[in-house]
Amino acid sequence: MLLLMSPWLAGFSIFFGYPLVMTGYLSFTHYDLLSPAKWIGWANYSYLLHGDPQVWPAVVNSLEWIGIVVPLQVLFAFGVALMLARARLGLGFFRTVFYLPALAPPVAATLGFVYLLNPATGPINTVLGHLGIQGPLWFQSPSWAKPSLALLSLWGVGNTMIIFLAAILDVPRHLYESAELDGAGPLRRLRWVTLPTVSPVVLFAAVFGVIQGLQYFTQAYVAANIAAGQASQAGDTINNLGYPQDATLFYPVLLYQHGFVNFNMGYASALAMLLLAVAFAVVLVILLNSRRWVHYAGAVR
Amino acid sequence: MRRVTGSLLAAAAVGAALTAAITMGSAHAGARSAKADKLVVWVGWSKRELSVFKSVVSEYDAKHPEVQIKVVGSINDTKITNAIRSGNAPDVVSSFTSANVGVYCGTGAWVDLSPYLKKDHVDLSQFPKTSLYYTQYKGKRCALPLLADSYGLYYNKALFRKAGITKPPKTFTELAADAKKLTQRAKSGKLKVMGFDPFWGFYSGNFADMTNYAPLFAATYLDGKGKAILASRFAWSKLLRWQKKLIDYYGYDKVVRFQAGLGDEFSPSNAFEVGKIAMLMDGEWRVAFIAAEHPKLSYGTAPMPVDDAHPNLYGAGSVNGTIIGIPKGGKHADEAWALVKYLTTNDHALAKFSNGIRNVPSTRTSAKSPELKPDPRFQTFIRIFNNPNSATAPITAAGNANLTLVGRFTVKWQAGKVKNLHDGLKKLDRQIDAQNAQASAGGGPP
Amino acid sequence: MSTASVPVGAAALVRRRPPPAVRRQRFLVAVANHSLLIAAAIMFLAPFAFIVLTALMTNDQALSSHLWPHPFRWRNFSDVFHQAPLLRWTLNTMIYSVVATIGVVVSSVPVAYALARLRWRGRNLAFMVVLIALMLPPQVTVVPLYVMWSKLHPFGFHFIGTLWPLIIPNWLGDAFSIFLLRQFFLTIPEEYLDAARVDGCGELRILTTVVLRMAKPAIAAVALFSFLYTFNDFFLPLLYVGENPSHWVLSIGLSEFRSLRQVQWNLTMAATLLVMAPAIVLFFLAQRAFIEGVTLTGVKG
Repeated sequence: MLLLMSPWLAGFSIFFGYPLVMTGYLSFTHYDLLSPAKWIGWANYSYLLHGDPQVWPAVVNSLEWIGIVVPLQVLFAFGVALMLARARLGLGFFRTVFYLPALAPPVAATLGFVYLLNPATGPINTVLGHLGIQGPLWFQSPSWAKPSLALLSLWGVGNTMIIFLAAILDVPRHLYESAELDGAGPLRRLRWVTLPTVSPVVLFAAVFGVIQGLQYFTQAYVAANIAAGQASQAGDTINNLGYPQDATLFYPVLLYQHGFVNFNMGYASALAMLLLAVAFAVVLVILLNSRRWVHYAGAVR
Repeated sequence: MRRVTGSLLAAAAVGAALTAAITMGSAHAGARSAKADKLVVWVGWSKRELSVFKSVVSEYDAKHPEVQIKVVGSINDTKITNAIRSGNAPDVVSSFTSANVGVYCGTGAWVDLSPYLKKDHVDLSQFPKTSLYYTQYKGKRCALPLLADSYGLYYNKALFRKAGITKPPKTFTELAADAKKLTQRAKSGKLKVMGFDPFWGFYSGNFADMTNYAPLFAATYLDGKGKAILASRFAWSKLLRWQKKLIDYYGYDKVVRFQAGLGDEFSPSNAFEVGKIAMLMDGEWRVAFIAAEHPKLSYGTAPMPVDDAHPNLYGAGSVNGTIIGIPKGGKHADEAWALVKYLTTNDHALAKFSNGIRNVPSTRTSAKSPELKPDPRFQTFIRIFNNPNSATAPITAAGNANLTLVGRFTVKWQAGKVKNLHDGLKKLDRQIDAQNAQASAGGGPP
Repeated sequence: MSTASVPVGAAALVRRRPPPAVRRQRFLVAVANHSLLIAAAIMFLAPFAFIVLTALMTNDQALSSHLWPHPFRWRNFSDVFHQAPLLRWTLNTMIYSVVATIGVVVSSVPVAYALARLRWRGRNLAFMVVLIALMLPPQVTVVPLYVMWSKLHPFGFHFIGTLWPLIIPNWLGDAFSIFLLRQFFLTIPEEYLDAARVDGCGELRILTTVVLRMAKPAIAAVALFSFLYTFNDFFLPLLYVGENPSHWVLSIGLSEFRSLRQVQWNLTMAATLLVMAPAIVLFFLAQRAFIEGVTLTGVKG
């Protein structure tokens, strides 16, 4: 047994357990990789809570993402799956169409969307212009930057949608039939037959979405840099993370900035500890309710 | 120097290696083997400017068979810090962000050059005072200036004629008035040509940290003790209010939309070069770009306008430069120093480099070199650079991070999200002070 | 929606043709459903269409509001290779993905088996730990891990700047794959394993002969997801090879493509398409495997 478990035991200790402890230690130090780590007690934490003006916007952004966009993703994927489940013709075609965007690598998809949503010359605003609507500033506007990212993520719900589709199609026919016998219309059937049966899957997708939301980095990072460049912002020497006006500054992006742009590793560790606390709380909630979900766990990255 | 061109360190390397042979420097590695040592040089330039740099370095390389120099371009500060901190540093590094010298010198990321300077009897007075300022931090000198930058006004003569303006504006009031005259709109109200774009963050001239506008208002960021004073110095509020008034005249959303359709700053579709913007604050390198990309453009250069209350400032401007140094962990420190010394002090190398990329020569002797090719439009910038009122960004322990905070504020201000300017600036001052305290908390320089 | 219902008492077994009113209702519903599907499909495909069109434009056209290329510049797709070392990036990405995926499969299968089918003390605790590792964001351990890799210089070899810090941990078990495989192994009937045990096989042999053969679809799914995940990985490569362009992977290269050539959007879109292509082609070649894999993880998990 030990032989079988050994790769994981080694891997876990070296690449997870030890770093986790070290993060805690480093959070009490000032460390820039050039000189040895210097113990400074709670200074990093007090800067985090009182001094750093970017922490609060980052926290709010991440919470908004988890609280608004993740449920939106689940609802949207479910809605599309429902429609697909009812489709008579061309199920394979539609399924492919809805799944394809999920295959696009995140960087490529983000790049595409930033280009498409260029407020001046992008195709989307051009089309809207032909329809007489003045398109918004999308990635160039602090109020539209997150919705633009949300659109990007909705475009890629293919994986979740496929899972929902399978679950919906798996609902036993006889349940529908007996509901129909009892006089239930389609809406009722949805509410009392479909939903309860697939709820574990939906719940799991939501949980998974939250976990992904806590790590949301790539799209925000790439979008901020590309959009800033597109707005003719000065290039390399400027820190464009969070462009515009911290609208895309999610918590992992902030952590990256402090740890790997400013090389303030002690402070970045303090930020990581806060993230750990929140993530761990989420994990506890999940595990305590795991009876309901553990059979339907597993999903897509 | 925030540009993207190749570096010419190679040619200077030849001269530097000669001097290296004479000076044995400090004890790092320094093993001079019979075969050529490979020196890796990182610079920020790319494409045309990179090839100019490479040609300067190759002159050095040819005269110094004991070194073989490899130049890598398109380097930015993140790459530099990354490499040094992970122990993978090259032999010579160069950066456009002189504001980060506080971090480089303060943390020892770039080695202290004083032992080398003393050994070789390098006369520091050959460098202009401002350049000396942005290559050291609290007395620790870890960099030398490699050509310098100054910012001035570029104006489109054809558009001026069309609008009936005869000479470039000298005050900010005139600037705003001229900008409005030169602006053209389409029937739909969309902007077609902007007279002057004051948007914070737009191209290099309008760095959101306001560093290029500060000297024009005699505005200083820090007091003698290193504390931020943006709230108490009236000049800042004046500048910010002027800027916002002009943005509001155009319409904030309209400006954003207009900018999203502009070409990249360093591409041939640069907005000024294609006539979409009539007046632009830019660095002296633009002269070379225009000559290469749009030689027929009818334009002129002049010092930037100044605050109406300080007309004596006219002729000054924001000043900066590329800095070059030796990273910690580099393997051939002595040979690297020889190369650095050549590039930064050799008149021929500096003149050749300056001619090629049209940057300001960074030593007094090279500025008078007969090799320099005269160009009246470029002369403007040399004068600006030497003007006693010209100033540069402050150097602090947090480096560029301070200026990032300022930039965060100004973009919020121009979007109308700041209700009370004075309170906002006070808060900004506190943030900067906290950030500097946090950066020096590790027992770095106090 | 439909309010008519089958009269109470009519046996569900008797499938009479529903009355015309009901049939008409159902027809209208199907039409509505299909229209929605078509509209959704258009919205999902539109970004791809625009990206393709832009990839075929000249640079000036890409910077303007034109929607249709005049003329079609097929050259863009080959120009892209001259502008940036796309092939080198692809090679780097392949090395990373292939080696990491092999490592994941080889190291996760034994661990998953030990967690699923062997009985030993602490098994549930270990599984819980795997779950926790799976759910915590990578940002909580990333700082000390980076520090660790930067301090390791065996024989003068520098890990930072190479892809090894990304590949090596995958050879010591991957939490997600372990989880997935364990769930799958749980579904293998005990009888098969008992029969093999009775025959005198040691656990290792059972694993390699009986279990592996039965678990092919799960292993295929794990390999597929591992490959896609590493192919699309951006954050970790950014940290470790971000400053070393010769080791860039496709995701990093694509995000930097704009700054390499002062952005030509038409070429950038062409590069984006090229990066999206492998996954899409792979999908069309192995559609069944894809859909089954996704479904398997989602529903069976």
